[in-house]
Amino acid sequence: MNLTVNGITHGVDGRELATLLDVLREDIGVTGPKAGCHQGGCGACTVLVDGEPRRSCLLPAGYADGTEITTVEGLGTPEKLAPIQQAFVHHYAAQCGFCTSGMMLAAHAYIDRGGTDDHDAIQQALGGHVCRCTGYSKIIDAVAAAARGDSFDLTTTAVGKYTTMATGGGE
Amino acid sequence: MAAASVVTDAATEVLMPGSEDEAIAAFGDGAEVVVVGGGTIVLPDLTYRRRRARKALMLGGAGLAGIETQGSRVTIGTMTPVQELVDMPAPLGPCAANVADLEIRSQGTVGGNLCAREGYEAPRGDLQSAFLALGASARSAANGDVTEEPLEDFLPKRRERLLLGVSFDEPAAGAFAGLDRPHTHDYTALAVSGAKGTDGTLRLAATGTGSWGVRLPSAEAAAEDPVAAGEAALEDVSPHDDALASAWYRTKVLPVLVRRVLDELKESA
Amino acid sequence: MKVVGARIPRYDGVAHVTGRTTYVDDVSVPGTLWAKALRSPHHHAGITTLDTSKAEAMPGVRGVITWKDVPLLEYGHLSALGIPADEPLLAKDEVRYRGQPIALVAAESEELAAEAVDAIEVGFEERPALFDVREAFDSDAPKVHQWGNWYPHFEGEMDRRQIRKGDIERAFDEADTIVQGVYRPAAIEHAPIETQVCQVVPEANGRLTIYSCTQALYFSLGVVAAHLQVPLNRLKIVGGTTGGGFGGKVDTATETMACLLVLKANRPVKWRWTREEEFLCSSTRAPWHMELATAMTKDGWILGQKMLTLHDAGAYARFSPYGLTKHSFHHTGAYSIPNLHFDGYVVFTNRTPTTAMRGFGVTSVSFAVETHLSRVAKELGLDPIEIRMRNANRIGDTSPNGVAYTDPSTIDTLQAIADAIGHELPADYRTMTNEPRAGELLPEHLVAQVGSTEGH
Ligand SMILES: Cc1cc2nc3c(=O)[nH]c(=O)nc-3n(C[C@H](O)[C@H](O)[C@H](O)COP(=O)(O)OP(=O)(O)OC[C@H]3O[C@@H](n4cnc5c(N)ncnc54)[C@H](O)[C@@H]3O)c2cc1C
Repeated sequence: MNLTVNGITHGVDGRELATLLDVLREDIGVTGPKAGCHQGGCGACTVLVDGEPRRSCLLPAGYADGTEITTVEGLGTPEKLAPIQQAFVHHYAAQCGFCTSGMMLAAHAYIDRGGTDDHDAIQQALGGHVCRCTGYSKIIDAVAAAARGDSFDLTTTAVGKYTTMATGGGE
Repeated sequence: MAAASVVTDAATEVLMPGSEDEAIAAFGDGAEVVVVGGGTIVLPDLTYRRRRARKALMLGGAGLAGIETQGSRVTIGTMTPVQELVDMPAPLGPCAANVADLEIRSQGTVGGNLCAREGYEAPRGDLQSAFLALGASARSAANGDVTEEPLEDFLPKRRERLLLGVSFDEPAAGAFAGLDRPHTHDYTALAVSGAKGTDGTLRLAATGTGSWGVRLPSAEAAAEDPVAAGEAALEDVSPHDDALASAWYRTKVLPVLVRRVLDELKESA
Repeated sequence: MKVVGARIPRYDGVAHVTGRTTYVDDVSVPGTLWAKALRSPHHHAGITTLDTSKAEAMPGVRGVITWKDVPLLEYGHLSALGIPADEPLLAKDEVRYRGQPIALVAAESEELAAEAVDAIEVGFEERPALFDVREAFDSDAPKVHQWGNWYPHFEGEMDRRQIRKGDIERAFDEADTIVQGVYRPAAIEHAPIETQVCQVVPEANGRLTIYSCTQALYFSLGVVAAHLQVPLNRLKIVGGTTGGGFGGKVDTATETMACLLVLKANRPVKWRWTREEEFLCSSTRAPWHMELATAMTKDGWILGQKMLTLHDAGAYARFSPYGLTKHSFHHTGAYSIPNLHFDGYVVFTNRTPTTAMRGFGVTSVSFAVETHLSRVAKELGLDPIEIRMRNANRIGDTSPNGVAYTDPSTIDTLQAIADAIGHELPADYRTMTNEPRAGELLPEHLVAQVGSTEGH
């Protein structure tokens, strides 16, 4: 089967029944989708399949054959963040960051289908996504801001300065 | 990279039929076949090794999705995503909207919902009550033989047959009442569906009272008086304790839900 | 001020939103084996037989460990403080909680590792189990721990944490009313979205590199080195990126066993718990049983308080004695109580061992004290905020462990709360401050309570 992930097509054999999550993480090496529960309960693995949010831990990879898959890595780069990414940085919507990629992809799809800054509608759209750090209000604020099309001044968060543990530590 | 679960895959024969006929043939007598609808129940079962698959029959490409209306007869293919029912009239629409969240509803299918096995810790198969109330019939296959029968008769056999689709006559009125879910991930602890046919037949059904959805004949018989019908419904069920609610709680709430459904049916009539 | 009130960007914000933050599960090392644990299906049982030979012989299995493979089997979370250890890294002849690890397998895939775990033959002899901390404290309760049913190693080999202050009998004699209550907050699972995970890599120089999601890097390092009986410089630990912890990743859960598998297989090993394992056997916040009796004057002064606390450690002590100690230091809440009688026990049950969670040992007592004070106010017919303000700590008042407060903020907080909920306060409460007690706010029973803030 052929999976196009963030624009690059990968041929993967014999993994039709495996979860798309495992195929992305283990076969293709795309680690943005996280394995939080492997049973659809947390939303950390959500990716876009032809633009629609799906739990990659519930989706047999065979069903994604021939589709375009977008993970957080395909949303934007540090130099060119997508609006939802800017909103998450600006509103401190990512704390430990583990739920963030699933959250943002679901939010991105919500805004794509015309979602507004209405808090109830945002809660519905993200209802299946669990965050244990933030208490959700910052996440909802961020999605609302992105839905409104707010512009974000991220000059204080100069790109490139922020690296993490495995890429060599602090600034 | 870790070799991951390649071994399982090699040990599992994956069948991906391209049509209904191919699906029926691949299913055969159903022995050792794990049917994969949307996979939202099957995949976690495989991941957590609650189920083993010698043969997996993936229905995604078999063309079994879609809703068709001919006159007043509605036919829904087994692979139709639950999300596609959300805007239909009660009891189906509100019942479907109460299943999981948008992402799971968009992937989980009507057939997978109706064929869900008894839950390990929680009931599943919320659509059962809505389709039972609609008097739906189920079209299914085994050993190459396709039959259509009332859903009530099909449900106990759902592990031995391949469901192809369900159909029902559009009702004159319908209603749905379920316990509120504190979170979109909760299964509904208890729900009641009701529908009145154009010929005046009233059907009531519940999910969350046992292993799968059941009709409530005693409540139907007492329907003139919604309060009495609510109490009568208790004769039709044997509520249980599980992670979602106690039998005691279900016993207290079932009469209330039955009453709400009957009141709503009266209003819409 | 440069920081307070300013917009300080998160140092990891951009990395988080672009998927570039590398969590432990994202570390990819060629040749990595998957680990799986054989866990106890019983809450309490003797282990009668343990045979791993079939599992070891399975294709794809590269290593199996049991208690026999651990150089130092028992090393406690407080051992570094000289406190005896009670918990084996892998169960030896007994299991005391459901999910307790008995053996681990490293295999070429997660699936193979799981199959090999199923092939381990183990026999049990079930024993009575205790789940309620209060029942475990009964003198005729079945014994579930080698030390007896509660921890006996507080300073001076005391079997409890005790605090005595003032003249408790007199306070209760002089009280107008005594109000009693029992408070029992339940266990809570931290439920971080990232489950427990570590990856251990054998390096060419003989060192082990441990990638861990732990919240307590250097603590884990010490624990691993002790169990393995190797010097610290044989280990390198890489961490700091945790997918949620909340206290649940303070205990060393995975690293030591993964290291042992690496030593056996001489290959990198990853051990990632499933969500089910996380719920079943990762540590939780403790359940507590707290009994309070408060000696009150009818106008709302707290003369004295007696408290019995039972802190459920679960099956083993781990950090619980430390949690109870914090609990005892905070057991008067934000209030000045001159006469105290506190007994706290760390009690063993057959629950999963419990640990820190956001305010270790303190949230439980805050819950008890605040709920109890509202009950007191109700019984006395007094305003619940005023009764709190009157008894609230002032500068110079002393804590149960004798520390004088230099900067308590209870009064301001309560005034802000009253404003926020539209609660009218009388003029003298409106103008109250945290300044040291004097005049009407320094009744005779509190005179001796006021300590000196000098030297703190
Ligand atoms: C987080 C979460 C929340 C959920 N909440 C709800 C809820 O609120 N209510 C609810 O009802 N469900 C809920 N579910 C369960 C599930 O998602 C739905 O029931 C869904 O409709 C199942 O459909 P599926 O196609 O994914 O099933 P699958 O996983 O594909 O199949 C389910 C079962 O039916 C069998 N099967 C599937 N298709 C056929 C067929 N054509 N013929 C014979 N057997 C078949 C499979 O072998 C399997 O045993 C939830 C699931 C998750 C993960």
